[in-house]
Amino acid sequence: MSSPLGPNDRLLRVAPTELAPHWRSSRHARRLLTLGLFGVFIATVARRPEFAGVAAPALLLLAAGRVQRRPPRITVRARPSSRRGFEGELMALDVDVEGQDDCTVRWTLHPGQEIGPVGTTAADGQQARFTFTPERWGRRQIGTIDVVLRDRWRLAEGHASVTLPRLDCYPAPAQQRTKVVLRRLPNRLGEHPARTSGEGIEFFGVREYVPGDRQRSINWPASTRRGRLQVNTFAAERSQDVVLLVDATSDVGAPGTSALDLALRGAAAAARAYADARDRVGVITYQWGGASWLVPGLGRRQVYRIIDSMLASDTGGWTRGANFRRLPRAALPPGALVVVFSPLLDQRFVEALRDMRERGFSMLVVDVLNAEPPARQRRVDRMARRIWRMEQEAIRFSLRELGVPVVHWDGVQSLDLPLAGYTRRPLAARR
Amino acid sequence: MRSPVAIRVAASLLGAGCVVWATVPQVHKGLADLALFLAAIGVAAGALRLALTAVPVPESSYLLPTGLRVWLSFLETLRKVPWEEGALIAILWLEVLHPSRPWHTAVLGAALIAYLLATHLAESAASLGALRPQVRVLAVGAGLLALGAGAGMLPEAGPGAGSALLRLVAAGALIAAAGLALPYVARQPGTPDNRRDPL
Repeated sequence: MSSPLGPNDRLLRVAPTELAPHWRSSRHARRLLTLGLFGVFIATVARRPEFAGVAAPALLLLAAGRVQRRPPRITVRARPSSRRGFEGELMALDVDVEGQDDCTVRWTLHPGQEIGPVGTTAADGQQARFTFTPERWGRRQIGTIDVVLRDRWRLAEGHASVTLPRLDCYPAPAQQRTKVVLRRLPNRLGEHPARTSGEGIEFFGVREYVPGDRQRSINWPASTRRGRLQVNTFAAERSQDVVLLVDATSDVGAPGTSALDLALRGAAAAARAYADARDRVGVITYQWGGASWLVPGLGRRQVYRIIDSMLASDTGGWTRGANFRRLPRAALPPGALVVVFSPLLDQRFVEALRDMRERGFSMLVVDVLNAEPPARQRRVDRMARRIWRMEQEAIRFSLRELGVPVVHWDGVQSLDLPLAGYTRRPLAARR
Repeated sequence: MRSPVAIRVAASLLGAGCVVWATVPQVHKGLADLALFLAAIGVAAGALRLALTAVPVPESSYLLPTGLRVWLSFLETLRKVPWEEGALIAILWLEVLHPSRPWHTAVLGAALIAYLLATHLAESAASLGALRPQVRVLAVGAGLLALGAGAGMLPEAGPGAGSALLRLVAAGALIAAAGLALPYVARQPGTPDNRRDPL
């Protein structure tokens, strides 16, 4: 999946940074000074002129380097190839400097947390390019870059440091092609065949001809059999409202494959799949008894808004309490399909799901729990582990009893596989 | 020898060669053993520092295991202590303990300059081309080095007006070089005088 922003986006027009390098003697200069002074000292004390000869080249180099000019200010420009990227996506950082005169420039990249450099982290020259890849989703600092200027004689070094811009790293979306479709769809044009006749392209049935029907829709074989004109009818095509409910309360498991990682990747995949099917997609991010939401919307831009909303719950709205009755109707429209991504570890969240089900929402839970308590040899530990498993099975069983399908997703395979049983036929909203 | 590894190896070999050159034949006076020990330690630690240049250091050492903390302290010590300067002083001290041998000392001086240049190239990951602007100055320095060695040999040739004149020339050249270096020693880099605009 490519980045949403192109290389000419206005976000990438980074203002140059003017810096005053901190100049100091290089280690090389200090060594030459040591050699020169100690050589002169020995020559004087021991009255041996050959030691003055040993000191002479070092002192001459120091004297020659003394006349060098050092730029007091430089202008550094650091431009990442994009301000947004996905986990594992290869990105580039271009840096260049102006005003360095005839000094040589050395760049050293210090990547930030969860930013993995690809290739070298040091380069020479007025311009340089570093490549890196964000290793985990989140809003992250790319890091810092150190600039070291060295004069022609390499006797003085100017040091400066630039803080690199922030990067929004999106979770790498999982694969999902098929969609779960509700049995009852709102009366809105879309791409899902509804259970009513309309102007779609999927065959729905045959009925008797009435004046006004199109001649091209006459079903001639059926008309011949029945002796009266029959016309084909087609299924109406409707769209649905889909609300992705992401449980960000529990982040259990190894970093990179934790429950939250899988929930975000699954939600991103679902958002993309439903948005491609012209559905209105929204998101509710549940976290510690509160929820932030983004009202359902259309289009690819909405996918990125959804991911942004999940990364930082500061867009849309916010409410406290696990009771979803407090959410506005715009955030959770009646009749919407609710796809839940959760490890089902927070009891309040499970209660909220039951509450939503009782209010008549059609729900589907994708269980993203792929971790268990550590296996230990002690009998008490084994017993605790068994009890924990039974509790988890009881939670899932109770949801299924309420008519909420629960499917498990391991984060490796495509989401189509666990959802296969519900994508082949419309999902009924049983009350 | 353009690769960074080759330059590091060259720097280490030059340092070891300087120690051996200044030591042989071994003398046992004037703390020679201590000077030899310090020179060997300085060159070895300098070579180790160059070898471990690329080892990364975590930004935060909070809650790190003890072993890792010890390793980080070792790395920090290795990178902060001026090993090469100590080795230079010890090597020159070893050399001065021997009877006067001007050309031997001149070769040592050339090797020491080469050692310092190679060390600098290795630690800054620069190529040999970075030294191109210094070639002329280095050539003049080599001339002064030879002049110093010649001045040291003159007493062996016997007393006379010529030898006194050559010694005077050598001393004058050295004084001039030292005088040129004095402003650099007196002023710290980065002072307003150094930041003057050439225009």
